[in-house]
Amino acid sequence: MRIEYLRKLGFNLMDSNTEYTLKIINYARKEFANIDNYKSLFRLYENIVSKVSRERPASAQTINMLHDLGKIIINNISENRSIKITHERIIASLDLWERRIIEDCNEAARIASRRLVDGDVILTHSRSTCVLKAIEYAKKENKKLTFYVTESRPGMEGLVTAEKINSIGYPVKLIVDSAVRYFMKDIDKVLVGAEAVAVNGAVISKVGTSLISLIANEARVRVFVVAPISKFNIETLFGELVELPESDWRRLMSPDVLASLPENYIARVPIYDVTPPQYVDGIATERGLFAPQAIPVVLKDVYGKWPPEVLELEELVKKIKEIIGDCL
Amino acid sequence: MKVPNKVLEIAKAIRSMRIRGAGRIARAAAEALKIAALEYSGPLDEKSFRKYMAQIADLIISTRPTAVSLPNAVYYVMYRLMTSQGDINELRETVINAADRFIQESIDAVRKIGEIGARRIKNNSVILTHCHSTAAVSVITTAYRMGRVVKVYSTETRPFFQGRITTRYLLEAGVPVVQIPDSAVRYVMHEVDHVVVGADTIASNGAVVNKIGTSQVALAAHEARVRVFVAAETYKFSPSTVIGELVPIEMRPPEEIVPREWIEAHPGIEILNPSFDVTPPEYIDAIITEIGVIPPQAAILVLLDRMGWALSKLKQGEIGKIFFEETLEE
Repeated sequence: MRIEYLRKLGFNLMDSNTEYTLKIINYARKEFANIDNYKSLFRLYENIVSKVSRERPASAQTINMLHDLGKIIINNISENRSIKITHERIIASLDLWERRIIEDCNEAARIASRRLVDGDVILTHSRSTCVLKAIEYAKKENKKLTFYVTESRPGMEGLVTAEKINSIGYPVKLIVDSAVRYFMKDIDKVLVGAEAVAVNGAVISKVGTSLISLIANEARVRVFVVAPISKFNIETLFGELVELPESDWRRLMSPDVLASLPENYIARVPIYDVTPPQYVDGIATERGLFAPQAIPVVLKDVYGKWPPEVLELEELVKKIKEIIGDCL
Repeated sequence: MKVPNKVLEIAKAIRSMRIRGAGRIARAAAEALKIAALEYSGPLDEKSFRKYMAQIADLIISTRPTAVSLPNAVYYVMYRLMTSQGDINELRETVINAADRFIQESIDAVRKIGEIGARRIKNNSVILTHCHSTAAVSVITTAYRMGRVVKVYSTETRPFFQGRITTRYLLEAGVPVVQIPDSAVRYVMHEVDHVVVGADTIASNGAVVNKIGTSQVALAAHEARVRVFVAAETYKFSPSTVIGELVPIEMRPPEEIVPREWIEAHPGIEILNPSFDVTPPEYIDAIITEIGVIPPQAAILVLLDRMGWALSKLKQGEIGKIFFEETLEE
């Protein structure tokens, strides 16, 4: 009954970015288990790539993980490794990614939590695994905090975030997305997660984040983003735009509500938006908290050189297809 | 004093927000005064009638303490009653005529605002509107009929989804409308040419009190250098703000946001539901009224012109509200 009622309002819980990447890793591990030749290995890889670009095209973390898998496949074929060895390496990489995603998220959260001090009133939007982790760390250190949570339409996952923060042990105030500016004067810090971070420091996050950051900026309230480096979209380095998927009325209401609206009712429902770097005060990663404009420096440090070598995922798929075609 | 049932019904409907929107509230208030005059059944002397009307006026004003259109409609009618002389039948006529005139002027105002506002809309415009405002819809549909509007973005406007009402009205007028969630305002703003919104109350400094979210729509427009027009009848201007009164922002019940079951299952979560916010005048390019376009900072001009009587009363008494029963003793 309760859920039914919420569905009328458009409640529809999506995976957080971290949850989604972990889900894809599990899916890949299960599917790769049955692979015994390169042809089906390629087909599976291609399928996972298209599944991800269909479901979460902006998820840099998943895309980066797929980049790694693609590189392993290419290297192993060019080195004439047996499918068995390639298979083992893929599974090892998936295990490593799984561990890394959790550890990096925790470490970024730990760093972000240090910015929260007694008495802070924090606003958060949508539902981010790493933000919730940061709040858990703050609670462990007994920091006295209060939270404002937006309901975060479309999807209304703010309800779940509010519930979670409250169960961690903090007082929570739930507001509609439109009330952010009304309350901004009471807020000390904005803390949000990310779907991806572009190399210029622009943050791709749940739609509404950019509006909240603009409002925070107007009120001189600081905005912090918790995003492990695996969420940095390297493809943007070469001018790629992050593709932002949009949805329709399905994310705003149930079919019976639509039936009560005019026949030619149309809704445009973006899922993510882009917060420009000038509205972001700090990005908390596992390697520390830094200004969004400093991302190239961090990436140079991570990849050992600048610019790092990257192929667009589609190119990578094409390349694998070519070399597999050659050796079959 | 016996209050006619129909008047009580209107008062209840305003209080429970069954009648909502500043214009409708104002017209309902005038209508209630008219019904009260028509159904007056007390002693047939002038003094009793005046006292009865003053009590009805105070009752109606008390139903929505934050809606300025409501007291302004009552001021309009009661001012005419207070300044006229005659026997009870003549006074009754005065009230009825004043109420009818207010209702007619209020309806005409919407049309005039539409005509004046539409002139400000450029060709091939994309317009964004928030909540539901009859005056804003009038501007948009008039501009559309002039061939100037290619698309309208209408925000859902949580918690009450008044954007769905806007969408319905605009679709009925043939205007292409796309609904967006409130959080997507900045996302689409770079495509928008004009923001057109209504107002609940306009303060004497030009600040616009309107549906929650309006101020962040205006901020997003300001960032993108998109012009913001506020369509508002002159009865939206608040006389009491001239003497420094703040416009109270009503906190509405949490059940408007999530169902009671959810609230009861989450006792540790406080749900805050302010119904309005304040858009500062610097984010507003013009206020479009039925007597012309003004910069928001000139709001005081409208107040002096239209609400002079109420202004002097408020200043005289140093009060934020006029209590009509007290004015009888003068």
